Amino acid sequence: MDFIHRKTADLAVEHFLKEASEKEISLAWDRYEGSLPQCGFCETGLNCRDCLQGPCISHPFRDENKVGICGKNKDILGAHSFVRLVVQGAMGYLDQLAGFAWDVEAGEGSPKRKKEAEKIVADTKAMFGDGASEVMGKFPKTLISDWKAKGVYPKGLAGELFKVSQKLDGGVGNVEDLLLWAFKGALIGCAAQMLQGRLKAAVFGDTAPKELEVNLGVLHKETPIILLYGHFSPLLKQKIVEVARGEKVGVLGVCTDPFVPPFSVAPVTNYGSQEIPMMTGAVDLIVTGDQCVNPSLAELAKIWKIEVVPTEVLMRGDLTSFAKEIVERAKQAFEARSEVSTDIPKVKESAVMGFSAKDIDANKVVKALAGGKIKGVALLAGCNNVKFTQDQEITSLARELLKKDVFCISEGCASVSLAKFGFLNPKQRDAHCGKGLSGLLSSLGKSVPAVVDLGSCENSGVTDFLLSMASAGKKQIRDFPMVACFPEANRTKAVARAAWTVAMGIPTYFWPFLPVTGSQRTVAALSGFCEENFGARLHVVTQKMEYKEKADLLMKSLEKKE
Amino acid sequence: MKVIKVDPEKCTQCHTCDLWCGIEIGSETKELNDAIHDTPQPVPRVHVEGNNFPLHCRHCEVAPCIDACPNGTMRRDPQTGLVYVYEPTCIACWMCVMVCPFGIIAPSASFHAAVKCDRCRNMDYPICVDVCPTKALVLEDREEGATWYGYAPKRSF
Repeated sequence: MDFIHRKTADLAVEHFLKEASEKEISLAWDRYEGSLPQCGFCETGLNCRDCLQGPCISHPFRDENKVGICGKNKDILGAHSFVRLVVQGAMGYLDQLAGFAWDVEAGEGSPKRKKEAEKIVADTKAMFGDGASEVMGKFPKTLISDWKAKGVYPKGLAGELFKVSQKLDGGVGNVEDLLLWAFKGALIGCAAQMLQGRLKAAVFGDTAPKELEVNLGVLHKETPIILLYGHFSPLLKQKIVEVARGEKVGVLGVCTDPFVPPFSVAPVTNYGSQEIPMMTGAVDLIVTGDQCVNPSLAELAKIWKIEVVPTEVLMRGDLTSFAKEIVERAKQAFEARSEVSTDIPKVKESAVMGFSAKDIDANKVVKALAGGKIKGVALLAGCNNVKFTQDQEITSLARELLKKDVFCISEGCASVSLAKFGFLNPKQRDAHCGKGLSGLLSSLGKSVPAVVDLGSCENSGVTDFLLSMASAGKKQIRDFPMVACFPEANRTKAVARAAWTVAMGIPTYFWPFLPVTGSQRTVAALSGFCEENFGARLHVVTQKMEYKEKADLLMKSLEKKE
Repeated sequence: MKVIKVDPEKCTQCHTCDLWCGIEIGSETKELNDAIHDTPQPVPRVHVEGNNFPLHCRHCEVAPCIDACPNGTMRRDPQTGLVYVYEPTCIACWMCVMVCPFGIIAPSASFHAAVKCDRCRNMDYPICVDVCPTKALVLEDREEGATWYGYAPKRSF
């Protein structure tokens, strides 16, 4: 039950917090404080709503209430809590892939590499049925046979995800078995992400790293502005940008993949402050997809007379006319909103984003590791969580790790956090990095920033990079000094992502603590049992600690591997 | 004297009050994730048992537990009027447990003492009132010696 002392580290966001409190507009932070104390049973995973006899809890202090009505004890509840998060997260990746693949199949857009796109769609279909996806074959053979030996290698992917989801509904099993099912589910999510990345490349062509501007300063009041929120079909996104270009309408994004070649949409802000761009008064219409979109946006939009267009509706129509309608409505909204005053902070930062695995020479990274120039590789991922000061944890951790010569890669919203603070600006590279790391980065390319963004959660840049590391170093992924860290995670997708990262053999730290802590056996299994099976632990840290302690934990975990 | 008023209409039996009572009052660490694994298991002072009514000590004016206690372990704070257990002298005879009309005194074999609500007398605010999400629990002033039947009984000390 902690109240928030400082809401955000982003000054552009802080500028609007005062205004919000004066106007009594409730933002995510206010709603969090209003919800305190949060339910302790839910927070520790000691609750269950999976049937209608409940809700049940396992009360830590009441002997007559230790097991649920069906007999789930605290260990089963803890493990189920993990399975539930992973299943939902994996579904997130599968949904993104499905939305895209079915649009491609329906003939929307004109794929650059048609045969490849068709092959990936066929592969996706096979995966949604009972066949194995070919994309899983990209993993090293030893890893695949390891996964097969443990029984976590997913075959008919969706069919097996159904099985994983049914683990929550009953049956007898122990914690360790349940966790293996969860990892199986997570790997399905991983395959979906890889397929989506490949499909995107086949449809739009390969992306190259691109310089973008990030933060609220990218907004302007001269033309109508459309803001894209969350995840929806990249083809629709491309259409919207294409139509908007012709009509001189600006398109920017929040919590969405910034790259839809040949276009890009600059990230205005990241998850924690997704409500803030509307407060500038410069936004005329928002297009909302699914997943990382706060339902609060609809109510807030009314205050500034902003149009809201959800894309994930039951009847959508064809993409081109939908895109045209969106742009037209944005133009009308711009006229209608001419009297709304604007307040755009002049805060923006330049960032080079959108690297893919081929843009980073894995051989050089492997050599630098072997030569001791860098101490390891750290993956920074996850978005924002209102339980932590926005962006503070991730940026302070990145600062510490870079100083200590750790090669940092990032993904998704974490990249936007880091971009806002200049970690993705090549000009600031040497100020952030230690000498060894600086040397490596400059050998990788002139425009490589301190932290390398390997794309959004819609493409598998990170996984592909890990695979190229493994083939360059002729080693198992688990044998490299690598660590993954989710300093401000909040989505179920992040949990699934963390799970498959562990399955690949990369020790993973996850903040805030996962709702499994009610079961010591589950917490122990996520570290000990995972270490035995995958060679890496999923650390559930409950102690409160400063970023320096967190950085020390990460460094220690890198040293173990050296 | 301030007492905890319970509104059964608002109580959803979520057990948040007894969870946090166990953490804040019953455990040494006072941290959720540590307290839930403490041994011996912390004993909450408030009991939510079936009838939308979190049961606390009523701090009776005529308190049978004080009268039954053989060695003055059950005491009343003269300033606040709150009844509490002075644990160092408790001999775990469970006389108070037997006589309490509400059954709210827990005989704790592991702590070798009677455990009961002292309305968080050493804190600014009772923890159960603080955490109740529906405000079914509120802290209210009760007039000294006031009873519904019009006369004040002799208070037990």
